[in-house]
Amino acid sequence: MLGSAISILVTGAMISAVYALIAIGFTMIFGVGGVLNLAHGALIMLGAYGYLVVTSSSTVEFLALPPVVGLVVAIAVGAIGSYGLYRGLVEYIEDNPVITFLATLVVALILAELAVVGFSASPRSLVNLAPGSYHHEGFGIRVTYIELVAFVASWVSIGLLWYYVTRTDEGRSILATSMSERGAQLTGVDLPSVKARTWVIAGGLAGLAGVFIGTLQQTSPVMWLDPLALAFIIVVIGGIGSIKGSIIAAYLIGYLETLTVELLGSGFRGTFSLIVLVIVLLVMPQGLFGREWVHE
Amino acid sequence: MSSDTRTGGRLGSVADGYNDRFGHLFGEMNALQLLFLAASLVGLLAAPLWTSLLGVEGFLRTFALASIWAILAMGWDIQSGYTGYISFGHAVLSGGAAYATALLLTHVNPDLPFLVTAPISVLVALGIGLAIAIPSLRLRGPYFSLVTFVAGLIFYQLTYAFSGITGGELGQRVGRLQFEVAGLEVTTFDPVTRYYVMLIPMLVIAVALLYVARSNVGMILIAIRENEEAVAAAGIDTTKFKIWSFVLSSIPMGIGGVLLAYFYGTVNPVNFLLVDRSIEMIAMAVVGGMSSILGPVGGAFLVIFLREEVLYVFGTTGRWVALWTAVLLVLVFARDGLFRKLWHKLGDRGATGGDDE
Repeated sequence: MLGSAISILVTGAMISAVYALIAIGFTMIFGVGGVLNLAHGALIMLGAYGYLVVTSSSTVEFLALPPVVGLVVAIAVGAIGSYGLYRGLVEYIEDNPVITFLATLVVALILAELAVVGFSASPRSLVNLAPGSYHHEGFGIRVTYIELVAFVASWVSIGLLWYYVTRTDEGRSILATSMSERGAQLTGVDLPSVKARTWVIAGGLAGLAGVFIGTLQQTSPVMWLDPLALAFIIVVIGGIGSIKGSIIAAYLIGYLETLTVELLGSGFRGTFSLIVLVIVLLVMPQGLFGREWVHE
Repeated sequence: MSSDTRTGGRLGSVADGYNDRFGHLFGEMNALQLLFLAASLVGLLAAPLWTSLLGVEGFLRTFALASIWAILAMGWDIQSGYTGYISFGHAVLSGGAAYATALLLTHVNPDLPFLVTAPISVLVALGIGLAIAIPSLRLRGPYFSLVTFVAGLIFYQLTYAFSGITGGELGQRVGRLQFEVAGLEVTTFDPVTRYYVMLIPMLVIAVALLYVARSNVGMILIAIRENEEAVAAAGIDTTKFKIWSFVLSSIPMGIGGVLLAYFYGTVNPVNFLLVDRSIEMIAMAVVGGMSSILGPVGGAFLVIFLREEVLYVFGTTGRWVALWTAVLLVLVFARDGLFRKLWHKLGDRGATGGDDE
């Protein structure tokens, strides 16, 4: 009993770290531009397939770079894709939330269908970044190294992001814009560049998350959907626009899912998250930390 | 030239007669707009004739499917398009009705008559609609859309989680529609009958929803979209009307879902509940022109026709890429929808013609 409790504790922490990676970018874009980027899941998919292309010779014969390079490529692909999405599309339509909503979702569907064209509809397996696992007999815990890498990568990114938005001028202008767009503009913040930078950061995080999601769950043309739903749930629970809130909510949902899967089976993975979501929405629609950035 | 004005005049008087009698019910229109509508209607009703004359009988299947999707797109429109509360999970309503039919036939009695299963299925859609609407309508803007989107995902997952009952990925057979009305046997085995079985409900629903949209209820829904605070300040319970919009939407969604179940003959998660289906009906409504009822009908026929008949040149997957790209272009460059544009163009032409006389 104790063993399985600790096992849930550890597995939950690992998956929650990945969820945090997924949710932060989503919440940042909403905080800064007021845009809900429904193509966020597609950027995650982009990262996973980017990693697949450069690390595995199964797609391009002569291209089989080391996984670490693949990780960098995944981040770059996510960031560039995200920047392109903003500069090429969202910038022109962000005044209309409904159109932005639909357009980003349609972009996600286009990318998913392109993934089918390019890589077929069947799931692909990624080259494992860190094969092997750690096994503790006493507690009956098994943690794969890739999960550990994901956990560390998640916290390193969160640390870097925290440093960036609180300690550097460039980052603080992002924070300022999310608090008050008008106020930021009045103090000389270059709004378009702040927005573009936010999209780049969110895309990079999504690309990074893509490698872990792609390895731990699956790399397939439908992989964009579940992370997107997760990002929603987490961000709404944490409070739209709040980084701290989404990290906390990511752990909440991560543990909830681990428990659900452990006790009821994987078919109910998302069901309880939805119930929590509905409760949170009814009791405190602003989420756990909906106003955090304004007060800081 | 003179004959032109004469036909314009004769048509004009027909249009005036229509406006006098029905204008206040369904909206006024000029001669050109009336001609356009009448031509479309005749074209649809006579489709079995002209498709067989042109040797394109296959189009009948496409038009039948388009009629069903037109019902769904209109159902989405009366709720989302009119109130501005954009639902991303409407496939749950139609899918719920389809699954209700399938479950009744599989688990209760395979010989249940259509006239029993269909009303129950529509009621199921209504129940699901209210179950989604009542908690989620307390939320505004993006929050509402997010919750409906997630609700769609959850229903999709549940069909897999309860695959013992729902048949999981393969789904369940509902077979073909077969019932008797006034001694006449109606069956969807015959493509022509099937076409009319899909087309006639679509036309009835279009007329009913047009009437509702022009009624006080429709006006209030539009007012909610434009300025909800003002409506509330006028002493109108906006939540009540938003729930009404869901009721008005659930019924056509249920009918559409049942028809779609009989169209395919099987009910499965991918054809009925996948998030793409919700987005498809939104895309149709937006391509045609949101909050206009007839716009989504046009959008549905355009999108389905492109998808089923034209875009296959890009391959089975490529057609989706092409279709979504086209939808994206309409979203960016013609936000108000293609059919609304066409309608207003006809309106302008007709108006100037009228001035000349």
